[in-house]
Amino acid sequence: MHDNTDAIVLQDVVKRFRKSTIRHEYTTFKSELLRWLRGGRERNLGETRLIEALRGVSLSVPRGRTIGILGRNGSGKSTLLKLITGIYRPTSGSIQVNGRVSALLDLGAGFHPDFSGRENILINGIILGMSRAQVRERMDEIIAFSELGDFIDEPVRTYSSGMYARLAFAVATHVDPEILIVDEILAVGDEHFGKKSMSKMMEFKKQGKTIVLVTHDLSTVERWCDMAVWIDAGRIRGVGSPMEVAREYRQAVSLAEQRSVALGPAALSADGGALPMVEQGAVPLSGPAPSPQHRWGSFEVEISDVRLLGPEGAPVDTVDTEDALDICIDFQNHQNLGDVCFGLSLFNAEGLKVYGTNTLIDGMELPSPLPASGTVRLRLERLGLTAGHYLLDVCAHTQSGREYDYHRGLHGFRVGSPIADSGVVRPPHRWTLEPVAAQQQEPPAQRAIS
Amino acid sequence: MLRNFREIYLYRGLLLSLVQRELKARYRGSVLGFLWTFLNPTMHMMVYALLFSVYMRQQLPNYTYFMFVGLLPWIWFSSSVGMGASCISDRRDLMTKVWFPAQVLPATVVATNLCNFVLSLPLLVGMGLLYGQWPSWHVVFFPLVVLIQLGFTLALVYIISALNVTFRDLQHIINNLLTMWFFVTPILYPTTTIPEPFRNLMVLGNPMAIIVTSYQSIFYEKRIPDMAPLVLLLCMSLLLMWAASELFERRREEFAESI
Repeated sequence: MHDNTDAIVLQDVVKRFRKSTIRHEYTTFKSELLRWLRGGRERNLGETRLIEALRGVSLSVPRGRTIGILGRNGSGKSTLLKLITGIYRPTSGSIQVNGRVSALLDLGAGFHPDFSGRENILINGIILGMSRAQVRERMDEIIAFSELGDFIDEPVRTYSSGMYARLAFAVATHVDPEILIVDEILAVGDEHFGKKSMSKMMEFKKQGKTIVLVTHDLSTVERWCDMAVWIDAGRIRGVGSPMEVAREYRQAVSLAEQRSVALGPAALSADGGALPMVEQGAVPLSGPAPSPQHRWGSFEVEISDVRLLGPEGAPVDTVDTEDALDICIDFQNHQNLGDVCFGLSLFNAEGLKVYGTNTLIDGMELPSPLPASGTVRLRLERLGLTAGHYLLDVCAHTQSGREYDYHRGLHGFRVGSPIADSGVVRPPHRWTLEPVAAQQQEPPAQRAIS
Repeated sequence: MLRNFREIYLYRGLLLSLVQRELKARYRGSVLGFLWTFLNPTMHMMVYALLFSVYMRQQLPNYTYFMFVGLLPWIWFSSSVGMGASCISDRRDLMTKVWFPAQVLPATVVATNLCNFVLSLPLLVGMGLLYGQWPSWHVVFFPLVVLIQLGFTLALVYIISALNVTFRDLQHIINNLLTMWFFVTPILYPTTTIPEPFRNLMVLGNPMAIIVTSYQSIFYEKRIPDMAPLVLLLCMSLLLMWAASELFERRREEFAESI
């Protein structure tokens, strides 16, 4: 009956907190009295003691969608969830929620350690908004889902933390909400229960429920959500397809790391602690003067430049997945040394090492002594990486590993791809259909990934 | 105020479950379990009985029974107020992690203690029988007095619990005030002990004195309690309730943030 309305509509929502409450300096009679005695002078200061957690957020979540909220710690994600849930009220702006909300911000609210699992299911279920009859009706289902077996009649204080979480999650997901709000708790319990929780969420999704999910796990967002929202420093930085938003987010994070931006608590910093803006195009090849964190070594052999050349031999900063890439390391051998190897490692924007190799491992014989200057070229015949930003560590070192010149993350490139596949590597693959012998039908591509 | 009550009615299932839980939780794990509901006030009474009918002899017939009549409702009141002060500030999990109607919490405390009070009534009657005091028809006024006490206690707990979220000092102040309040309330002594010039002031100025003397009229003196002070208190409780609801409503938004 609400089919044409959005499930959640936020309009220009601003939320401010008083600083004292965030620092947990409780107001006491004394402090209030002092404030009152000082009176007028403090009144101006009052404004600066406010913290803006959200600075004008407008967002509408269509019914039946799963939406992922991204953002680094302190960017306002949880505040947003609490506003939607109704725990907080906005300082200004409006929030409209159409439908019964169930929020899984924390597991096991109202659990009493001395009570049995069964008793706690009842009370927790009622706190989460079910009626007694409803809880009783679903009791067996909840107990079965929690897989606690005989432990269900033991006091909760005897539970392991995994059992506790399982019980709490079981209750929370058996509430029958129209809108489900989940804050980072999918990683509950062991592998098996994690999968079970996931499939429960899938079920919710299939039933056409609206799900709002906060997580730091970008792959969860990419796999799961229909839509992603990136919140940065209390503002919406990006809305759209999960892939795109997650990629932008990754870029900004890696850029921040690269510039070694001090990432303090976002809400407390003056500029709001936003992540740096990503320039369109690639991460700059010749960046600012390298700091000791990014370059070190004894410099007897120096890497004077690293050039990335595309298939036509021209310098590139964006490469297609299927294209070849030449990485040229220009070096200068100042002291006519012979014991020199060159190595490089490739990292994706999340800092995952995608590949690493060196001339020694690959059995590439370098002349001894090395020429006074020259270029070592590594050709990747087919790049085979998914779209995103990648950074290179390049190094000249001895066979025993002493470093002459190490460049950490000073060079990078972007991989563009018209194909919306995900993951890190794109192995060569093709799909086929074989009507008979169905059991051997697994596509080669999947085999390659695993 | 009406909205407040409507919401409480709306969440009666929740209230009921919480009260049930509190009652069960209180003596969970103890050997004597529910018996403590009776043992606690009995022991309380025995201490005072020893003090006032053995050491400092009171010239009052059936003194222990007299004292018990006032002591039981006082326990209801003082434990409600004492526990109620921190009932919101202690439940951070409920206030900040789920959407939870805050006004249910003070109501839970008062209702739980009311249950304890009602459950200990047989003890009072048994005590009376021991002294040969049969309850008279005047007990019909008993529910009225209970209702007035309920209203007054609830209003007070609402105010205190709401303020205690921001002023944590309150819970300590309250506990000390309760001790003083206990001794200015004619529980251990009849009102006639109070010097004549202050008597009216001490009784009419203290809502708990009005309530306790009414219980004493019903059970001990076996007469109709003085209606005028009771009606006055009823009006006062309603007024206080209205103020408490307003205050609570206004403070409520801050609970989740201040806790």
